[in-house]
Amino acid sequence: MLHKIIEKRDLSPSAYALRLERNQFVFRPGQCVNLGLPGSGVNREYSTYSGTDDPYLEFLIKEVPVGTVSSALRKLEGGMEVELHGPYGSFVLQPEKIGNARFVFIGTGTGIAPFHSFVRSYPGLDYRLICGIRESNERYDAGDYDPERTVFCVSRENWEGYNGRVTDYLLENEVDPACIYYLCGNQKMIYSVYEILRNREVNGDRIFTEAFF
Amino acid sequence: MKIAISYPPIINADGQKAMVSQNRNVQFFKKPTYLLPVIHAQAATWLHDQGYEIYWDDGNAQLKSFENWYRDLLKEKPDVVVFESTTPVMKFYWNLVNRLKGDLPDTIVIMTGYHSMRKPEETLRNSQTDIVLRSNHIDFVLKKLIGHIDSHHNWRESCPIEGLVIRRDEKDLYDTGNFKQIEPLDLSPDVDRKLVGWENYAYENGNFLQTPGTYATSVIRDCMFGKCSFCRYNGPDLTFSMRSVDRSLDEYQRLIEDFGVREIFDDSGVWYRGAEARAFARGIIDRGLHKRGCYFGFNTRFGYLDEETIALLAKANFRFVLVGLEACDEETLNRLNKGYSPDDAEQNLRLYTKYGLFPHLTIMVGYYWQTREQLSTTVNTVSRYMREGLARTLQVTLCTPLDFTPYHLECMDRGVLMTDDYDDFDMSKLIVQTPIPHDEYYTAIREMYGIAFDPKFIATQLYFLLRLRKSDWQFLFTYGTRAIRRVRQHVFNLTKNQGTVATS
Repeated sequence: MLHKIIEKRDLSPSAYALRLERNQFVFRPGQCVNLGLPGSGVNREYSTYSGTDDPYLEFLIKEVPVGTVSSALRKLEGGMEVELHGPYGSFVLQPEKIGNARFVFIGTGTGIAPFHSFVRSYPGLDYRLICGIRESNERYDAGDYDPERTVFCVSRENWEGYNGRVTDYLLENEVDPACIYYLCGNQKMIYSVYEILRNREVNGDRIFTEAFF
Repeated sequence: MKIAISYPPIINADGQKAMVSQNRNVQFFKKPTYLLPVIHAQAATWLHDQGYEIYWDDGNAQLKSFENWYRDLLKEKPDVVVFESTTPVMKFYWNLVNRLKGDLPDTIVIMTGYHSMRKPEETLRNSQTDIVLRSNHIDFVLKKLIGHIDSHHNWRESCPIEGLVIRRDEKDLYDTGNFKQIEPLDLSPDVDRKLVGWENYAYENGNFLQTPGTYATSVIRDCMFGKCSFCRYNGPDLTFSMRSVDRSLDEYQRLIEDFGVREIFDDSGVWYRGAEARAFARGIIDRGLHKRGCYFGFNTRFGYLDEETIALLAKANFRFVLVGLEACDEETLNRLNKGYSPDDAEQNLRLYTKYGLFPHLTIMVGYYWQTREQLSTTVNTVSRYMREGLARTLQVTLCTPLDFTPYHLECMDRGVLMTDDYDDFDMSKLIVQTPIPHDEYYTAIREMYGIAFDPKFIATQLYFLLRLRKSDWQFLFTYGTRAIRRVRQHVFNLTKNQGTVATS
């Protein structure tokens, strides 16, 4: 299915948000889609970034310098079309838990995308967001999250917030085994965080993962 | 402790043996095809490295009759036997386990595989199996589990390892919880080729253009995409993980230099893409492995390889590219969650063949929704691809719901499954209700395989080969011969029920 680009928002030198016409596209927050240039025959998976009630579709994309799709998408202008397939995947919140469970979302870089979709789609969600980034300018759309519930862990710059990786933060702070944990980002972070959580008595059934690659 | 990793010869009423094929599907064939079970082989290697005695026991690849295989297993008296389950052989395994427990009551039987991992209690209720693994990461779990059993006489009571359902007694089944593979794949060892008798798998395998061939230790566990509804590599219980490029390159070098292999196929659900694929191809070239007369092949999906990557792979001597086309109509691709359009598939095939890769298409027919028009679109498009030289070989199967994949669950939910006898799930006949008579799907299979004998297709193949290097002519003599034999066998298997099943 083809979707027209509404706008592209540059969020940092390497990341941008691609906003598309919704075209009645239905998805569950956290699911991903395949995006590509029409006729190119090449596509990549991206998690949904916008909420289910937003009149548009949005995706948070990191431009990979040697990448095929992310660079090509960034060059497109408003009004041009992209090819979209999906939605897919099961990295979603269980409906029966949304109103009565406490969630901890742990992500790195653009791995925050599905959590943004969760927060926008489910007002009143009882969540805590722990997001690992290299520099403070990578706090994409930080205003969309409740500051009381959000920690940005900055690893390569001194700033007024937490300095260090998400793994450091978890080791230094209490981990509640009763919460439900969602991890999204690079594999290495997922391996490390999973181990920390398991060592802190979080049952594997309460940990959900989505590796970005 | 002695651990047997066992694959019994399973023979059906037609005298055919159950052979593992693509995606760990089991089909019954008379002619051999032997696929190395890579993850089980890694498990064997890991346990062997830890000092355990391993009895690598693939009765098919070792050309044993069932009775000889069974007699040899009893003679070995293993402490633990590990089997791999999938839907069409479940009843066989339950009977076998009960017989084995009668003969070797102290042997611990562990069931692995995609069927039992998704319904462990069923296997424990229907057989005397001791443990069912709820994870497909057999190597990681067995490494922990065997060590625990070895050092704890009361392991049934105390096992802290996740991902198991353990029989404590007839009524008490102990579920140790969900297991997710959240460990770096690089921790699992390369397959010990000698331990698993790699030569037994080096010749009879349809994915090899040249022999001896071998399977690489897979670079991807599960699938990078992992969304296709009919596929085993799909589900919230599976977690994609990847091996490092350098580690895999080292193995390729060893396989070529120490074992003299002439074809290496990576049977990962989907192989590397993007930066990793290019880094791998460059690594092959930098090490000069592309000039050793060895072909490389892998599974991929449409949409994953761009032109630059394809060109680089071709330069690195990659040839056989196995890709799941499944169908050629938009609705079916959408329903299967394939993530690309028919146009994308064609665009990709043009690029593969432009650079001299050999695309092998896998196609399925008999989806419970598949209309005459959709079926005809697939047959006509596939025929065109083959005649135009956009694909070199193909394999058509009946889409059979298996192992509680989303497609299987969907068929059950919609009430379209025509049987609940697992013996009927052997891919030899359609077992779902369809909008048109089943015979039309069998006819479609014949038509697609019939392309192999079409003069235009043969002419296109010859023209293609004439443009390649002399060494590629081996394709005509080795792969071509085997391909024709396999075509005849597939047609027999997949259409033998034509005219006998009228239900739709």
